[in-house]
Amino acid sequence: MKSHKKSNVIGLNERNIKLIYPNNNKRHYPLADDKVLTKEILHQYDIPCAETYAVIEYNSDIKAAWELCKNKNALAIKPARGSGGGGIKILKKDHNGIWISSGKPVEERQIFQHMAATIMGFYSLGSHDRVLIEECIEPDPFFQQIYPSGVPDFRIITLDHQPLMGMLRMPTDRSDGKANLHQNGVGIGVDMKRGTLTQVYDGKNYFDHHPDSKFIVENVSIPYWNEILEISIATAKAFPLNYLGIDIVIDKYKGPQIMEINVRPGLGIQLVNQQGLKEKINDLNKNRS
Amino acid sequence: MNSQTNIKIVLISITVLALVSIGFKIKPVLENYDDFKAQQVYKVNYNYFFKSGDKNTTVKTFIPNSNSRQQISKYNNKSDSTLLFSKKGLASNKKVIWRTKAVNTYHSINYEFIFQGKEKRFTLPQQFDNASEKHQYYLHATENIQAKDAKITQLANRLTKRAKNDSQMIKSIFDYVAEIPSAPIITLTDALTAIEQNRASCNGKSRLFVALCRNLGYPARIKGGIILENTNKRTSHVWAEVLINEHWVPFDALNNHFAYIPANYLEIYEGDEFLITHTPGIQFDYTYEVESINHIPFLKLNSEEIRQLSSISLWRLVEKRIIPENALNLLLLLPIGGLLVAFLRNVVGVKTFGVFLPVLIAFSLLHTGFISGMIMFVCLILLVGLISYPFDRIGLLYTPKLVISLSIMVGLMIIATMIGIRFNVTWLTTLTFFPTIILTIAAERFSRATIEDGHKLAIEKLGQTLLATIICYGFLSWSALPALLIIFPECLLLIISLAMLLGRYIGIRWVEYYRFAPLFNQPKKIQL
Repeated sequence: MKSHKKSNVIGLNERNIKLIYPNNNKRHYPLADDKVLTKEILHQYDIPCAETYAVIEYNSDIKAAWELCKNKNALAIKPARGSGGGGIKILKKDHNGIWISSGKPVEERQIFQHMAATIMGFYSLGSHDRVLIEECIEPDPFFQQIYPSGVPDFRIITLDHQPLMGMLRMPTDRSDGKANLHQNGVGIGVDMKRGTLTQVYDGKNYFDHHPDSKFIVENVSIPYWNEILEISIATAKAFPLNYLGIDIVIDKYKGPQIMEINVRPGLGIQLVNQQGLKEKINDLNKNRS
Repeated sequence: MNSQTNIKIVLISITVLALVSIGFKIKPVLENYDDFKAQQVYKVNYNYFFKSGDKNTTVKTFIPNSNSRQQISKYNNKSDSTLLFSKKGLASNKKVIWRTKAVNTYHSINYEFIFQGKEKRFTLPQQFDNASEKHQYYLHATENIQAKDAKITQLANRLTKRAKNDSQMIKSIFDYVAEIPSAPIITLTDALTAIEQNRASCNGKSRLFVALCRNLGYPARIKGGIILENTNKRTSHVWAEVLINEHWVPFDALNNHFAYIPANYLEIYEGDEFLITHTPGIQFDYTYEVESINHIPFLKLNSEEIRQLSSISLWRLVEKRIIPENALNLLLLLPIGGLLVAFLRNVVGVKTFGVFLPVLIAFSLLHTGFISGMIMFVCLILLVGLISYPFDRIGLLYTPKLVISLSIMVGLMIIATMIGIRFNVTWLTTLTFFPTIILTIAAERFSRATIEDGHKLAIEKLGQTLLATIICYGFLSWSALPALLIIFPECLLLIISLAMLLGRYIGIRWVEYYRFAPLFNQPKKIQL
C-alpha cells in the first residue's frame, strides 16, 4: 500500500520533465503569465471571466482610462504580470461615493500613483507592465457559510484538455483574506466525479470542517460544478498549453468565472486531495483507450 | 531510431571514450605517484662571478639537503671547467668548494638544484622534556650570541616573569623579538646590539632569539637559507630553531612565523655561519636565480615528463601560463561544482540562489578562509537586507533600490578593508576583487528573493545556499582536484554524461519525501 502510494506522487522533477516541458511550449508562457493576454483569448472564445474595463499601457493614458471607469461602483486594479497577488487593489464606493480600499478611503491621486508604479514595473520586478482594470467579483453566498470573508477560488488542473484534479482554496483567520496555502489559507479537496467537497488541509492536518468556522465540508455539493468543468475544458482548449492550473471564482450574479491560468501549477494539490497526480493521469489514459 | 536512443548512444560513446582515454593515463600516473606532495617547487641557481686573486683562490658555499619537508634533487654543477670542484661536509651542513690556481682570471659558477617544499606547523606542548646532555653545545654563548651576558639574563627574566610554562616562555620572548622594528641592516648584528639599537634584520633578531632561548636553558640554533620567490635575489635569510622534545622547531621572528615554516623556505645550513665564504680580497659578485616550477603535487614527474604523459592533458596551458593558475583552477572546478549543485537541487531538493553562486562563494572562501569568510558573508548580506528594508517602505523602484544596496555593500567592504589594514586584522583585508564581486551578486539575489518570496523564505533560501556552499567548499578545498582535472580533462565529458543523467531524473526529491509525507502514511482526519 505504502509503496503504491509513493509511486503515484509526482515530484518537481517529474512535473517538469513529464508534464510541463512536453505540454507547454515556453513560447506560449506569456499567454498565461500576462493577464491581459489571457483575457484577450478568454473574451475571444466567450469564456466567462470578469469584464475588462480598461487596459493602460502608458502613464499618459491613466487619466483617460480612469474617466471610463470612475462611474462604476466597484472595480479591481491589477498588474498584468504581477505574481503572488502583489499589486492588486480592490476599490469600492461607499454610499457617499468615496473610493474605499482595504477599509480605508483613497484619493484619486493615490489611485493614479498606484497605476503609475505598476506601469513602471514595481510589481513585476523592474520590467515595464500594463494595468488591468476589471469588474470586481462578488463571491457567491455558497462560500459565506464556509468562511465569511476574503476571496476563495477553485484550482482545476487540466491535462490534454481534461480536468485531472481540483481543490477549493479558502482564507482563514490567519491568512489576511488570502486563499493561498503558503499564506496560511486552507485547501479543500474536491471529488471530481460527484462535485462535492471532501476534506480540509491546513498544511499540517486534515479536517472534515473549516478550522475557524467549524462548517463541515465533507460531502457538501459544489454549486455550478458542471459549469466549472465545462469552462475549465473550454479554457484548456482555447490555449495552446496542455498542462494548466486554472483558477476559477464563482460570482454571486454571473456564476463561475475564470480568474487566471498557470503554466507551472504547484504540487500541493496532491496533499489536499491525499492522492498522487499519477494515479489520476493513469485513470485518464485508461478511459481514453 | 528516435532521438532518445540517439542521445543514449552518443552519451554512452562519450563516456566510453572518456574512460578509455583516462585508462591509458592511469598506469603511468599511479607508477609515478609521489606521497611527498610538495606545495611549491623551485629551480634554484647559485650564480657567482669572481676574479681570482694572486694565489690560490677558493669559493665555498653550503648546499641544501632533503628532509621531512623539503626535497632537493638534480644537483648540477655547470661552472667553468678551470675550477676544481669538490664536496665535503656532514649530513646536515654540506659544503661545495671551487678552487683554482689560475691567477687574475674571471670565473663563473653555476650551481643548480630543484627544491620541492611544503609548509610545516608544530604545536608546542605546555611543558618540554629536559634536553639531553648531548645538546649542551646548543646552550653555549658565542661571540655574537651572548647568551650568558647580564643584559640578556635581565631581559630574559623580565620577559618570562608571568610565563607559567615552557610554551608561554618561548611565546613571550618570541613576541618581544618579533615586535622589535625590522630594518634592512646588511651588516652583522649581534644579540646585544639588536637590543641596544632596538632595530634589527633577520640575523640580529635570530641571534637575539637564540641567545634568549639559550639563556633560559632551551637548546637553540641559527638556521640559514633562502626564501624562494619567482625572481632573482641577493638576500639570503636566517631564522632560528629551538630543540623541543628532540625536534628542532622553526621560529622566524622577522616574518612572525611561530613554530611554523612556510612551503617556500629553503633550508640550507644550521649554525651561525655565512652562506658563502671566499678567499679575501677578490672581486666577487653573486645572485640567486630562483624560478618557480609548475608541478603536480602527487606526481614525481617534471614538467616535460608530464607533457609526455599524454597528448590529452591541459599541461601545456599550465606551462605557458596563458591563463593565470587561479583562473584556470576556477575554470576547471566550475563544472564539477555545478554538477554538485545540480545534484543538491534536483535530487536532494536544496534551493539555492543560482546554480554557480554556491560554487563561486565556495571559491572565494578559499581566498578568505572558511570561518571568517562565512561570517563576513552572512553578516554583510543580512546587513544589506536590513538596510534595504526602509527603502522598501518608501516604495522605491526595484533597480535603483538595488543600486543603493550594492553601493552600501561596496562601501562596507571598503571600510572593512581599511579597518583591517589600520589595525592589522588580516581576515578583514581578504575581501579582494573576486570575493567582493561574488558577495555583491549574492546580495543582489538575496534582496530580490526578499521581494519575490518574502523575508522568511529568502532567509531559508540563503541558509540552503550556504549549506550548498559548505558542501562545495568541502570538495573544492581538496587541493589535488585541479591537478587531477589538468591531467584528466576527459572528466569534463564525464560531467556532461552525468549531467545528462541528472537532467532526465524524475524521481522524488529527498525533501519531497518530507513534504508529501501525509500521502505516504495515512494521517488521522480531525473531526468535530
